[in-house]
Amino acid sequence: MSGVLPLARELAIAVGADHVEEIDDGAWRVTPGSAAEVAEVIQRASSHRAAVHPVGGGARPVRVAARAADGTPGGAGADRPRIYVSTRRLDQVLQLDESSLLVHAQAGLTGIGLERILAPRGLSIGDYPPAVLTSSLGGIIAVRTPGKSSARHGFFEEAVVGVSAVLADGRSVHTRVAPRRATGPDLARALVGSEGTIGFITSVVLRIHVKPESRLFAAYVLPSIDAAVSAIYLALREEAAPAGMRIYDAAEAAQHFDGLRLPDDHALLCAATAGPTDLAACDRDLITSAVIAEGGQPTETSLAELWWRRIHAGEPTPGPAPTLQIMATPSKLRAVYRAVVRELAQQGGSARAHISRFDADGAVAFFTLEHEGAIADDAIVTAAERAAEAAGGWLLGARAVKLDAYLRALRETIDPHRIMNPGTLA
Amino acid sequence: MKVSQVPAYLRPGMRGRTVPAMTVAVDVDRLQRDLEAIVGPRRMSLRTVDLETYARDMWPRLLLAYREGGPAALRDAPRPHAVVWPEHVREVVALVKLARSYQLPIVPYGGGSGVCGGAVPLHGGITIDTKRMQQLRSVHTEELICDVEAGMSGERFERELARRGYTFGHFPSSIYCSTVGGWLATRAAGQLSTKYGKVEDRVAGLTVVTGRGDVIETDGPNRALRGPNWTQLIVGSEGTLGLVTSARLRVAPAPQLRVFRGFEVDDVTMGVEAIRRVLQKGLRPAVVRLYDELDTLMNSLGGSDHAPARSRTEAPSPPVATGALPAWPAVEPTREDGVIDRLLAFARGRTTKQVALNAALGNSHLVNKLFGAVAEKVARRGCRLIIGLEGARIRTEVEAALTFHELESLGARDKGEDPGWAWLKNRYHVSYRMSPVFRSGAFVDTMEVAASWERLLDLYHSVREAIGRHAVVMAHFSHAYVDGCSIYFTFAGTAPDARSAERLYDAIWRDGMEATTRVGGTISHHHGVGLLKAPYMQGEHREAMAIYEAAKASLDPDGVFNPGKMGLRDRWAAASPSSHAHARGEYGSAPSPSGVRR
Repeated sequence: MSGVLPLARELAIAVGADHVEEIDDGAWRVTPGSAAEVAEVIQRASSHRAAVHPVGGGARPVRVAARAADGTPGGAGADRPRIYVSTRRLDQVLQLDESSLLVHAQAGLTGIGLERILAPRGLSIGDYPPAVLTSSLGGIIAVRTPGKSSARHGFFEEAVVGVSAVLADGRSVHTRVAPRRATGPDLARALVGSEGTIGFITSVVLRIHVKPESRLFAAYVLPSIDAAVSAIYLALREEAAPAGMRIYDAAEAAQHFDGLRLPDDHALLCAATAGPTDLAACDRDLITSAVIAEGGQPTETSLAELWWRRIHAGEPTPGPAPTLQIMATPSKLRAVYRAVVRELAQQGGSARAHISRFDADGAVAFFTLEHEGAIADDAIVTAAERAAEAAGGWLLGARAVKLDAYLRALRETIDPHRIMNPGTLA
Repeated sequence: MKVSQVPAYLRPGMRGRTVPAMTVAVDVDRLQRDLEAIVGPRRMSLRTVDLETYARDMWPRLLLAYREGGPAALRDAPRPHAVVWPEHVREVVALVKLARSYQLPIVPYGGGSGVCGGAVPLHGGITIDTKRMQQLRSVHTEELICDVEAGMSGERFERELARRGYTFGHFPSSIYCSTVGGWLATRAAGQLSTKYGKVEDRVAGLTVVTGRGDVIETDGPNRALRGPNWTQLIVGSEGTLGLVTSARLRVAPAPQLRVFRGFEVDDVTMGVEAIRRVLQKGLRPAVVRLYDELDTLMNSLGGSDHAPARSRTEAPSPPVATGALPAWPAVEPTREDGVIDRLLAFARGRTTKQVALNAALGNSHLVNKLFGAVAEKVARRGCRLIIGLEGARIRTEVEAALTFHELESLGARDKGEDPGWAWLKNRYHVSYRMSPVFRSGAFVDTMEVAASWERLLDLYHSVREAIGRHAVVMAHFSHAYVDGCSIYFTFAGTAPDARSAERLYDAIWRDGMEATTRVGGTISHHHGVGLLKAPYMQGEHREAMAIYEAAKASLDPDGVFNPGKMGLRDRWAAASPSSHAHARGEYGSAPSPSGVRR
């Protein structure tokens, strides 16, 4: 089996000819039906020094990398075959442990697909925006992208209790499931966010949640963005744990809520709380107190309900998609907002924003940048990015460049032929 | 090369075989000069008394050996070539570079309170004591993040935060003798972890001097960064990947309110179910402790919970009821109100002779049964459940009401506040109660394992049975999560002579660890691995150890950081043909647990 047969033939042996598709010269898409088949594909890929690229549920179209003239990324030469391994058929729930609130699901199952299985049992994956959950679970945890955070349930990767993956040599690893442990580094966390470079994720054990007894909503008007940000952190300090919160500046509020006219510089704050009724009410009251302390007032609850339906029930949001997403820690949030607004004003355009996804790290500001009545061009967006970074914001998807040498060395040990998603995170 | 013998007590279960510990022959004078050039003459030592001091931590197996062997045991023990006390990251960098050039191991050392032998300098080398890097550099009150140096003692850290109105919420019973860096190295847990999380849940970033001699920082918001989470790869690595010099840790506002209460449940099953329901309802008590029948009995024998405890609490400042500060430990070393003392007192009470004690502990299965019967017949009191909440006033009040209501609706009986306050007052005692036991001729240790709720009672019964074959065992359930809980077993045993005591000790761990792995639990919830659990790491992680080894190769390519620990490849042991067991991560004669594939 070590390279004696042509790769296409070996792939057909591994997963069945029906599940191998040649998509380009020297490139195949294979669709294994089990973790064992994934291991076999990778073992055979390894003996052929073929690159293994994971493909999730297909939220994004597969881009077949053009054959590099000199040295495919990963440095193994021009003629390296490429195998796109799809998790599409790995879409089963393997185990549902309702007493521990854990689910073991295969990597190709989408978040929505899992939610569909959990919902009739009164369970839920958590208050994550469904837009994120359209991806496969393997993709959600293999790639760090924004939007996977919830004030109530934390960052998505914190829900990952265990990961099963196939290493470059075809070995399968299963990190052991335990609520917490003190047995060395968290090895699952090496796989989470590694974008298929350390192992090919075949299944994942996730913490899930009981559907809340109650959901309550509230909306408020505050005299400024600063006041709204302060109110949120005041409430969080009082240990409110809302399901979601969002601040709109006046321009964004007018855009999103037809006919809503706030005084200039005012802000709209929408909040949703969930849990046992007493606790949900307590959290809502804590937010109300914080808002009043910051000079704000409650307004129509229906605004918050509409906001929630848009995120969680698919009602359309008017206006274009945001142009720019900036993450900022609590102390930088106000400055980042001001910096971008000021920058656009200097450029003769305008910026409006909502701020969302509050958690321990901070929040994400979603800006819509306009110039001469249209969406701002790249030059202006870049200028706004620079302004945001100068004010202490983070562009989403940055890499810890200082640690690149360490990641490279780690990969060299675990994947000496660099077959695992070469070109990624390099 | 000088080959020294690793003394028997460092080879769990390996009696009769020899594991050579190879240490590089070092020109001591040159080493001294080179170290002096880095830290000056006053912050380094090659004096025997220091080297012997740094030869060990608080692993009970070492205490056992020292009790038997006296000073001779110290002479045989592997010890560092030198101990240094750096004050700055750049000194640590220079020390790592020096160690690499000498090809000498580096052993990071914090408070020395570890209970698994993690700080034992197995092959000598340079032991780096972090305790002179001890500043709380800043507290960002908006971010709720502080920047603290690794060598700061837990107690000072918590007091400094309290002075500013914050808490880290981490209260291990070792808080007076452990450091922040030690907590990070072992993924430690404090007694209030159910609310605040374990230490790994509170890390925003680390500054680490790696085995390459670089300084790296792992900070940055999770979701804004791509790639693996380096913070979580380094936390818990027990000094095998590098030395953490400082950390950004999440703090919380000091609690405005504390509510503590005792409940009584019929049995462990009922108690476990009650805790699960509370946690899964979304309630976050700070502390939840369920004592099994024997542990409950031991707790009640001292009678410390019958007096109104609050009035007896020595006046800490601010008051224990509201402050973030830990209560001062009572300085009453002779009073027998520790759990272990009570166990011994109970055994002694049956006949006053030492012989009888030994007999009781020696026939542990009988004692376990006897205690079970006593607990049932005499007490008929079921199991005690301590539950405490703290935090912001309004939310804590609401949560407390919901929590107590939930417990009562599940059949738990409210015993009022006193048992709760009594626990709070005595909660640091366990760390100071070990030596009397050892002095009395017995030994005592604790085994903290964890599992998901579904497997928890399996874990409890399996491990209890496994330890119960050899020693008196009791347990409490603490550190509860939405998806599971940890179990803290305390066992005490005795044997006629030192050798059989060691054999007994090893058998307890071997059987306990095997039982844990068999039912799908984790072999350590918060004490770490060190030497003690290294033989069981393969069973714990199986093929995933390859990822740990790859991280080791990346961060510490020369393998100088804390060799011989955690079941990782050990270059010094591997250099010797007679010690392949070591290279495979099977320190000592690793048992092959049935049902566990390696």
